[in-house]
Amino acid sequence: MTERNGKIPKKDDNYTHNINKNNERQIDRRGFMKVVAGAAGVFAVASLPWGGIAAKELMGLADKEYPRQKITDLKDIAVGDSVTFSFPSEHDDALLIRLAEDKFVAYQNACTHLRCPVYWVKDEQEMICPCHHGKFDAETGAPVAGPPRRPLPEIVVEVDGGAVYAVRVRRYEA
Amino acid sequence: MKRSYVGVIGMCAILLLNIIFTQLLVHQFFYQNYDAVLIYTGINIILFPIAILIYKKESRKGGRISG
Repeated sequence: MTERNGKIPKKDDNYTHNINKNNERQIDRRGFMKVVAGAAGVFAVASLPWGGIAAKELMGLADKEYPRQKITDLKDIAVGDSVTFSFPSEHDDALLIRLAEDKFVAYQNACTHLRCPVYWVKDEQEMICPCHHGKFDAETGAPVAGPPRRPLPEIVVEVDGGAVYAVRVRRYEA
Repeated sequence: MKRSYVGVIGMCAILLLNIIFTQLLVHQFFYQNYDAVLIYTGINIILFPIAILIYKKESRKGGRISG
């Protein structure tokens, strides 16, 4: 036994890679083409769910309906002021800003960078995230400065009988 | 036998474009630019038949293939 083992060269004396086949680790032209064509197929199939979700969002199928919720009375919010509330659930903090006599905008105010609460700074007419100085445009909710790259989700509001109501959450449209 | 590398180079280009557009696709999805996502999805899907076309063309050309 020891005699026979001694005849096997040291580099071949193993259990896992003990078969030598010519060019077993080489890939020829056709093999390479096959692999890349297959990879292109995998990429194409992998893109489908992203495209599907994007199409669904664009067609507005992902919009959800919530019961309408009273935010504040008209007399409690002056022009240029803001009010915090939560919509649609009690854990989704939101911010209502009265930009003009009859112009109200509301956004979910978790910063789209790291979810710090965004504040309305009246003097600068901007929504500012204090954590990393992200700034958002009050008219559209679009990020204008700092780390955030996604807009704040807008809440559709309705003025009805001397009070402001939150109706639904809208995707950013630009 | 000396052969042209057009097919191989074309295939490499397709692989490169696939990687680039998939990366852009994921980024634009994250930024919620959904129409850009649809465009990149379309490009990625169109690249697949092009790759198949190149593969077919190349395998028809080759008479002697080793391995």
